[in-house]
Amino acid sequence: MIVDICAYFGKWPYWPIDACTPAAVVEELGHCGIDRAAVLSTRGLFVGWEEGNLETEEAVRGFPGRLVSFACLGPLELSHTLQGHIFDFDKLCARGFLGVRLYPQYHTYHPLYEPFVDQILEEAEMRQWPVLLPLRVIMNWGMPSLSLDWMVAIVERHPRTPWILSGINYFHELRAAVSLMRRFSTVHLETSCVQGFNAIAKLVEQCGSDNLLLGTGLPLQNGSANLQKILRANIPEPAREKILGGNACRLLRLEGSQ
Amino acid sequence: MIIDAHVHIGKSARLQISADGEFLVRVADDLGFDKICCTDLTALFYDMHEGNRLLYEEMRRYPDRIVGYASLHSTRFESEALENLTRCYEVYGMKGLKIYSTPEASIAEPWTIPILEKCVEFDMPVLAHTTPAECEYLMTRVPQCKVMMAHAGGQPFAFGDWNRAIMMAQRFENLYLDTTSSTLDAGFVEKAVAVLGADKIVFGTDTPLLDPYMQRTKIAETRISKEERELIMGGNIRRLMGIAA
Repeated sequence: MIVDICAYFGKWPYWPIDACTPAAVVEELGHCGIDRAAVLSTRGLFVGWEEGNLETEEAVRGFPGRLVSFACLGPLELSHTLQGHIFDFDKLCARGFLGVRLYPQYHTYHPLYEPFVDQILEEAEMRQWPVLLPLRVIMNWGMPSLSLDWMVAIVERHPRTPWILSGINYFHELRAAVSLMRRFSTVHLETSCVQGFNAIAKLVEQCGSDNLLLGTGLPLQNGSANLQKILRANIPEPAREKILGGNACRLLRLEGSQ
Repeated sequence: MIIDAHVHIGKSARLQISADGEFLVRVADDLGFDKICCTDLTALFYDMHEGNRLLYEEMRRYPDRIVGYASLHSTRFESEALENLTRCYEVYGMKGLKIYSTPEASIAEPWTIPILEKCVEFDMPVLAHTTPAECEYLMTRVPQCKVMMAHAGGQPFAFGDWNRAIMMAQRFENLYLDTTSSTLDAGFVEKAVAVLGADKIVFGTDTPLLDPYMQRTKIAETRISKEERELIMGGNIRRLMGIAA
């Protein structure tokens, strides 16, 4: 089973996206040959994470065999009001969310100095929920990005939380991810922005294949091209199978995991 | 014929790559590419004389596979750059020019103009690592020069802004877009073809910096016609550089 750990649906405010509905994303997945994808609504990045989560929940209900949901979580208060609500992690579990994604660069907070971030990460550790933290959402130099130092520091602060580092490109970014993966078995890397020549083979050589996860960034990025770099990587077949889906199945406790 | 219009040969400390002709031809074989158009990294980032001479040696080793771009590390070398460009064209048989632009040494400066005029004289296309705004500066001054905007705006200095790159290429008849990019935004190639037509788009991979399989798939699996794909993946650069079969 091929599983994409990093996909979306919803509008992209920077330019038109053809496949923005859940149905269109499922069609794109089929076009690429990807069986399942972990998604969330981009509404959660730009409008409100609670509204986005409602859309994500509904999308997964519509395509239960094809989509799985990650919850987008962010600040609990609005800038002009007092704190209005609290996280209800049990309810998120009951609603079927299999992991969490954080977007500090879109939600205007510093991950190292916000108590709610530590609260989420401690809860994720307890529940063994993977937390996807993107350095950038897509590999486009104009998009907001997170400081690599912040990413490293927050992982070091919560080393037992299951992490999925996302949006990593090359050079120092990739080496920082490799360093974290070598130090902490809880740290995974999704591949949607990894672009370097022979990068996948190098990653397998440096870190093994157990913590690498296929990510495409669909429908914002080209899914076929992102799949090809795994399919064409010069790595052993068992490693390829793990990256393409085995690791994601294990991490998300999906049917088909071993 | 599939031609990769954007390949680097030689060594760069900044880009952390080192590749000779033998390696690059082997990669091209794996990918099914007939020819690769190369720029030498030493010429691009350190010494044009040394780097372009090294590329010439590789071109002689692989005359049917490697097509050379003359590369200049800065157009600010003025007459020295012009002389080296002339040597690359007349003696080394290079068919294009590669110039790199950074915020600290932009090519959108007056001394680039005589270089572009010389390229017009030699009928050499220019693969320019520039922003759309820099292209506007160049194209308004030398509109007859054939300029390929490397990475189509999808590079750090251009902030990944391929939408603006497409708009700019629409304004200037001789401004082309190179698909090579670490940006993989869905819809870029389709939009470029729809707005500009396939004959203004040139395929490249940035080997050995980027994964060439991704770059190939980006074009090969895009929803465009077979004829459009053939133009992008070889026909256009062949026409622009006058590459023989």
